[in-house]
Amino acid sequence: MLEARELIKEFGELRATDNVSVTFGKKAGEMVFIVGPNGAGKTTLINLLTGLLEPDEGAVVMHQETENGTVEQDITGMEPHNRVKEGLVRSFQIVHVFEEMTVRENIRTASLSNHGKMRSLWSIDDQHEEVESDVDDLLEQFRLEEVADEKAETLPHGDRKLLDVAMSFALDPEYLLLDEPTSGVGQKEKEYVIETVVEASDENNVTTVTIEHDMDIVRTYADRMIALVEGEVFREGDPSLLDTDDELRRTLLGVTPDE
Amino acid sequence: MSEATEDDGPRTFSPMKGVELTITQIVLIVAGLAVLFLIPEVHGAFDNIRLSTTHRGLLFGLAAVGLNLLLRHTGLVSFGHIAFFGGGAYGAAVLVEYGGVESSILLVLGGTVVATTIAIIVGYLVAGHVDIYFALLTLAFNQVLYAIVLGSEFFNYSDGLSLRSGGTGRPTLLGTEFGATEYNLLLYYITIIVVVVSLIVMYRIISSPFGRALDAVGQDRTRAKFIGIPVRRYVWGAFVISGFYGGLAGSIFSLLELRVLPDSTMYVFLSGELLFMAILGGFQTLVGPLVGGVVLTYFLDNARFATEYFNLLTGVVLLLIVFVLPNGVVGSAPDIAAGVRHRLTNPAQLGKDASTLGSLVVNNIRDAIETTRILLFGVK
Repeated sequence: MLEARELIKEFGELRATDNVSVTFGKKAGEMVFIVGPNGAGKTTLINLLTGLLEPDEGAVVMHQETENGTVEQDITGMEPHNRVKEGLVRSFQIVHVFEEMTVRENIRTASLSNHGKMRSLWSIDDQHEEVESDVDDLLEQFRLEEVADEKAETLPHGDRKLLDVAMSFALDPEYLLLDEPTSGVGQKEKEYVIETVVEASDENNVTTVTIEHDMDIVRTYADRMIALVEGEVFREGDPSLLDTDDELRRTLLGVTPDE
Repeated sequence: MSEATEDDGPRTFSPMKGVELTITQIVLIVAGLAVLFLIPEVHGAFDNIRLSTTHRGLLFGLAAVGLNLLLRHTGLVSFGHIAFFGGGAYGAAVLVEYGGVESSILLVLGGTVVATTIAIIVGYLVAGHVDIYFALLTLAFNQVLYAIVLGSEFFNYSDGLSLRSGGTGRPTLLGTEFGATEYNLLLYYITIIVVVVSLIVMYRIISSPFGRALDAVGQDRTRAKFIGIPVRRYVWGAFVISGFYGGLAGSIFSLLELRVLPDSTMYVFLSGELLFMAILGGFQTLVGPLVGGVVLTYFLDNARFATEYFNLLTGVVLLLIVFVLPNGVVGSAPDIAAGVRHRLTNPAQLGKDASTLGSLVVNNIRDAIETTRILLFGVK
C-alpha cells in the first residue's frame, strides 16, 4: 500500500495540499481516479508522492508485505530515482520523453534502468536480451511497433502519450501515477489510451492512480474515486457518487440537482 | 573482421563487438591514420605541415573528445575543461621537479591521476547544476586553479615547470633516453596509439547503457530521474571520465613541450578553444572534436604569424562555422558530399542554386528597403 499521511504543502500563501490522507492499493491492482477542479491540488499530490516535491508536513509511507507481516517504510525525502526502484513510477501531464531518441530507444532506456544495467560502461546498449524482449513486448502491447524507429519528437500527440506510458510500464511499477494520460488526446484515441493502460495494469497487477477530467472515463474504469477540492479530500468512494452526490456534482461539474 | 549480415542499408563491418562501420567510414579511418603516419615523413618538405603542430592538435583534440562527452550527451557546457589538461601537465611536471621521476609512463600516469582527482572534486561540486550555472561554475574553478598555479612558488609562478631533470635530460620513453628527433617521433607515434585507443574506449562508453543514461539526462533531466537514473551521480561520472581524457592529453602534452606554463595549459581562454574545437569539428560526432583540435591548432599557429588580428580571425571563423556549418566539419561532411554528388549528376541544380541565391539577395534587399521605409515614414 502507498499512503499519503496528513500531507501539507504550501506555496507562499496558497495551501495546495491541506492535510491530505489517502491510501492507494488497499486492494493490489486497483484503479483509483483523482478528480477535482483546476487548482484542487491533484498534481501537487502526485508530485508529493513521487518526490518531485517534498511536503512541509506529513509523510509518504509504503507498506510492504513481508513474511513477518506488514512493514512500514517512510519514503518522505527519498530521491525520485530511488522511489522508482521501490516501484513508484509516474508520468507527466506534459509528455516527458527523450525527444531525440527513437521510440524503441526511449523504452529501452527505461528498461535498461529497470534491469539495473545503467551502470554498465562496457556493454552495448541494445545487446541485453532480457531488456530487448521487454522492449519488444511493450512495443507490441502499446501498438508502437510501426513507429518504433521514429524519433519521439516526430510522433503525433497520441503516440507520444502512449510512449510516455509505455516507458512507465517498462519500469515494472507497483504503483503507477498518471497525470492526465488522456489530456490533449482526441476523443477516439482517448479510449484507446485508457484501454491500453487498463490492460497493461491488469496484466501486471499494477495499482494505478490517475488524474482525469473526463467523468465518463472515471465512471467506466474507476474502482475508487477521490475528489479533491481546494487541497482537501472532498469525497472518497465509489465512482457512482458522481451521479448520486449532488454537492459533488455541483462542485465538480457546476450542475445543480434540477438540471 | 566479421561481416555483419544486413540486407538493407549500407554494408557494415564489425571489427569488434559493438563497433559497426560502413565502408566509407573504414576508408576514412584508414586514410586519416595514413595521413597521421605520413606527417613525420613530409615534415620539413612542406613549410605548413609540421609535426609539432599536428602533435599538439591531436592532444588538444583528445581533450576536446573528453569534453564532448559532457557537451554532446549530457548537454552541459563546461567552460573550464583546460584545467584538467593543465592538471595533467602540472601533475607530470611536479613529479619530475620534486620527485625526480624520469619514466614517461609514470609521468603520464601521475599526471592523469592528478587531473582525475581534480575532476572528482570539481565534478562533485558542479554536477547538480545546469545551464549557465554549470558553465559559470566550471569557469570559476578553472580560474581558481589558474590563479593558484600562477601565484605559487611551488609551481614557479608564470615561468612554469620544466620536465628536463637536471636542466638537459628528457623523460625516458619505454625505459630509454632518446635524442630530440627520436624522442619527438616516438612520442608522436605513442600519441597516435593513445588517441586511437581513447577513441575506441569513448565509442564503447557512448554506446553503453551508461551512454544512453547520459543522453537521457541531456534530453530530459526530469524524466531521467523518474526512470530511475541518479542524475547527479551520473553527471559526476561523466565529468570524471571527461576530466580523465583532459589529464591524459595534458600529461602527454607536457612530455612534448618539456615545459609546463600556466598560460599554455591552464588559461581560461583555452577552455573556450576546447569548446571551439568540438564545435568546429562537429560535436555531434565522435571524431569531430579531434579533427577540430588539429584544424584549430594549425589555424592558430598559422594565423598568429599571418596577422596580428588572429583572435579576430578566429572569431570570424567561429561565426562562419555556426552559420554555415552548424554541424561542424566532420558532422557536415555527409551533407556536403551528398550535395556535391547531386550537382555532379544534375548540373541543372547549379542553375537553381544561382537563382535561389539571386532571389535570396533580392528578397533581403526588398525587406531592407521596406523596413527602412517603415522606420522613416511609419506604417501607412
